[in-house]
Amino acid sequence: MDLDALTGCLASPACLVTQTTSGFIIGMLLFLVAVGLTLIFGVLKVVNFSHGAFYMFGAYFAMTAYQLSGSFALAVFCGAAGTALLGLIFERVFMSRVYGADVLMQLLVCYAFVLIFDDVVRMVWGPEFRSMGMPAAFQVAPLFIAGGVVPPYYLLLIGVALVAAVILGLGLARTRLGKVIRAAAHNPGMVSALGINTGLIYGGVFALGGMLAGLGGALAAPVRSLTPGMGFSVLIESFIVTVIGGMGSILGALIGALLIGMIRSFGSLGFPLFTEGLMYLFMVIVLVIRPTGLFGKEVV
Amino acid sequence: MQRTRKPGISRRATLALMGTGAVTFATPWVARAQAKTIKVGMPTILSGRVAQLGTSSRNAVMLEVEKVNAAGGLAGRQIEMVIRDSKGAPQEAARVARELVNTDGCELLIDAEASSGAFAVHEVARDLGVFCIHTNSETSALTADPKQHIPNAFRTARQGVHDSIVGGSYAAAIAKTKGLKKWATCAPDYAYGRDTTGEFTLYLKRFAPDVEIISESWPKLFQPDYTEVVTKILQAKPQALYTCLWGGDLTSYIDQANIYAMFSQMEVFAVNMADYTALTVVKNLPKGIHSGNRYIKTYPATAENAAWGDAYKAKYNEYPTNWSWENATAVMLIAEASKKANSADGKKIAEAMRGLTIKSPFGADGTVTMRAEDQTLIGYAIGWGTTIPQEPYVPDVKPGDWKTILELEAEWKKSKGYA
Amino acid sequence: MTELRAGRTGEPLGIARDEARSQRPRYLDVLIGLAAFGVLAVLPLFFGSKALLDFVIRCSAFGLFATSLNLLVGYTGMISFGHGMFFGLGAYGFGLIMQRTGVPVPVAFVATLVITTIIATVIGAICVRLKEIYFAFVTLAFQMLIHSTILSWASLTGGDQGLRGGIPRPVFLGIDLSNHVHLYVTSCALLVIGLLLMRQIAQSPFGYTLRMIRDNANRASFIGIDVWRARLTIFVLAALFASTGGIVMALFVSGAYPEFAYWTISGEGIFINMLGGVTTFLGPMVGTVLLLILNDTVTRLTEYYGIVLGIVILFFAIGLRKGLMDFVVEWYGQRRDGAGERG
Repeated sequence: MDLDALTGCLASPACLVTQTTSGFIIGMLLFLVAVGLTLIFGVLKVVNFSHGAFYMFGAYFAMTAYQLSGSFALAVFCGAAGTALLGLIFERVFMSRVYGADVLMQLLVCYAFVLIFDDVVRMVWGPEFRSMGMPAAFQVAPLFIAGGVVPPYYLLLIGVALVAAVILGLGLARTRLGKVIRAAAHNPGMVSALGINTGLIYGGVFALGGMLAGLGGALAAPVRSLTPGMGFSVLIESFIVTVIGGMGSILGALIGALLIGMIRSFGSLGFPLFTEGLMYLFMVIVLVIRPTGLFGKEVV
Repeated sequence: MQRTRKPGISRRATLALMGTGAVTFATPWVARAQAKTIKVGMPTILSGRVAQLGTSSRNAVMLEVEKVNAAGGLAGRQIEMVIRDSKGAPQEAARVARELVNTDGCELLIDAEASSGAFAVHEVARDLGVFCIHTNSETSALTADPKQHIPNAFRTARQGVHDSIVGGSYAAAIAKTKGLKKWATCAPDYAYGRDTTGEFTLYLKRFAPDVEIISESWPKLFQPDYTEVVTKILQAKPQALYTCLWGGDLTSYIDQANIYAMFSQMEVFAVNMADYTALTVVKNLPKGIHSGNRYIKTYPATAENAAWGDAYKAKYNEYPTNWSWENATAVMLIAEASKKANSADGKKIAEAMRGLTIKSPFGADGTVTMRAEDQTLIGYAIGWGTTIPQEPYVPDVKPGDWKTILELEAEWKKSKGYA
Repeated sequence: MTELRAGRTGEPLGIARDEARSQRPRYLDVLIGLAAFGVLAVLPLFFGSKALLDFVIRCSAFGLFATSLNLLVGYTGMISFGHGMFFGLGAYGFGLIMQRTGVPVPVAFVATLVITTIIATVIGAICVRLKEIYFAFVTLAFQMLIHSTILSWASLTGGDQGLRGGIPRPVFLGIDLSNHVHLYVTSCALLVIGLLLMRQIAQSPFGYTLRMIRDNANRASFIGIDVWRARLTIFVLAALFASTGGIVMALFVSGAYPEFAYWTISGEGIFINMLGGVTTFLGPMVGTVLLLILNDTVTRLTEYYGIVLGIVILFFAIGLRKGLMDFVVEWYGQRRDGAGERG
């Protein structure tokens, strides 16, 4: 424990700004992955345990596309589009068969695919660590904003994550499609009776969730090493985020992700050896006080 | 009627099922007679995040075993390797090791497990009395702690404390000439990271007493995002940074620190940088990172070492890793000890191996020695230098002095209560 | 959440019918248990294979753990994702007591169970008021918290390297647990006793209270059952058997490692239950044997273990849609009913 460092930082404006920004950066990256998880739960009532695998595939697709084409934009597009397709196939062929079944059966199907996907990556790309490399456009000196240091690449990440949050939030609240999706989440039987193809909606939502995870993976590829099983730690963190924020709530995912970012950022100063434990402790406290999470709806 | 019959059926079905299972799976449990070939078991990690540890260990072992077999095997018996995945779980490592000996009839074990897996296999070796050579665990306590000591277990992995002594004295020399007084450390939060960092700072301060550690970071092992660690270190404004992150964690860290322009603001000492797993992977490798050698084919700068590295590359289309040389050394030592004892028996090999010095491409002076007192490897090439972003990556390595290493190691053992 | 509920009270957990029929005199259970123990105990006389004994010891550890999890999942409808923490607690508690104090083995055994009771009561008191998936989440969070604590508290637990240097086992009552056969017979005895006790719990009036809570907690509380207390009681009882499984595992590997308290152990427990089936008492035991055989044979054959295991899981989850024992029982029931109609 190093509480002096924590209070010292809280007293110094420069440190406060820098650590807050890094908490923000960590949080927004996390949000991109976590929001897909919460979306899928909100509509399909499925805890997508294989979400981390989509993040992994996003990163690997992006790396391969980048190596072949040299274009970063194309790499990100391939990462997102590839995982969207994968999500659609996964939902239509496998997940759709276990909707009526026990929640544990759904988890098992996801778990099976975590195992399979990790081995597939190992077969195709090999077991070794890989790195995509930072695109030349972003190999520039970091910016100084209000006394805090921010690399331009992270500005891009935050921008993408914010745009995704706004599009999702407004799209679900305002558009006709958003209304149909919310209706399907609430009462699929009724939506189906109105002549709307719920299978298509479910597949689409799963594809969207997978795409967001893949997008997160593709954007993380330049700064994180790629390895089979890389999705796992990201899955656990996203999971904590969605549970804290409330399963199914997009705003909750955003707030939860930022809270975790701040805990990591300031926790590493004050409790360098127990930062991880701090996150679980926070999760326990939230669950005990408010089982549905900060922004989750009360379950009847 | 229904009440009494149904459960009986489920029970009978259970028994029948168990019976079938027992018959089907009893076959591999029938102990096999001693064959002409000698089986050597190797539990290792072939899946998950550190699968590369297992694959590069396996590659090196197979490369050497071929040579040994071509030269007639162990006392006339051809070696047959039985290599199994423990998935990195210690209970699986223990299970696999026991099964290799009890079921598959392996007479020797090469334990290529990391961290807790190695300790679990060590307990199996203690229990079964089988010859066992640890190849990947660098934790000093595995052989330094007399409580761990058993006559049938050896280690060919490098040791954390050796690295730290050499690293500490190398870093202290630079700290003095460049006036680096304020240091930060960043290490993965597990035994290897904690011990190595503690020992490094101990020797750094010993050789350069006015050094001060102003910031410590302990990211979790396999953490994907190091942003908070990077900014914390930048905040502290140290003149130098020591890190013992390795593999994919190190490459992630470098990529993330790079966009904060960290490497232009401080001298960086990364003990695990000079290994091809990291050197060839990082796309924008900063110039001038100080690193200890893990495995590079240009150090020791001998024809034997270069030839070994090239032969490995020719066969597997990738460069060897630190784990590769450690495993290759295990096979070389077993072969020599078997020759000396003129036997393939584990007990006799163990006897012959204590204190054995063999010629080795990885030796600081062309040889490595299995020290008799604690049955661990000494005399291997160990040195530090600075990186450049292309081959040979670390052009100029300053060798560590084994005389100093051994003196300080003895002192360290005393301070730990090990000797 | 309505769908979730429908699923959970629906087919896979609708056990009451089968269970109601499976009442039989208590002494019969004991006799079967004794017979099973007898068969297991004489095995070493006929098979010289140490690997077979190892296999049965591991089956005991995981079987106790998985069956105790089924008391929660199958009988009470409480899906715990954190049951593995008690497995780890048992291993660490027992290992630490033996290493640090040198008390006789039975004392350490009882002390470990006492510690488990205390910790399980505290954690359970917080967890059991939560329902359904939130219970699963909070148990998982506690598991991860305990795992991080084990990793961080290196001076006590040895951190990520676990308890090193072996667990001493002084001879007691003529039993020497460092002897392979003695350890084997002791594990079998613990397994059989554990299963018998759990069977008694499941068949007792309390066991039927649990089933009622599973099927409809509100109805149970209307007729005066203290649901919270019943759930807490079974949570603690299940923790005790999981802890015993952990002790057997600690004796087997002669150490304790943080992986024992990791969520993957809980995941494995759930998987074993789904594999064997949750509607029969012995389902988890069958699942344990199946998973261990699967694990041992597949790792011998390929390093792409994940793909093979994944496909097997898919076969059970999408193909059978239930555990093996559930499938067998149902299939046999249908066959017999068909025959009954004809006759």
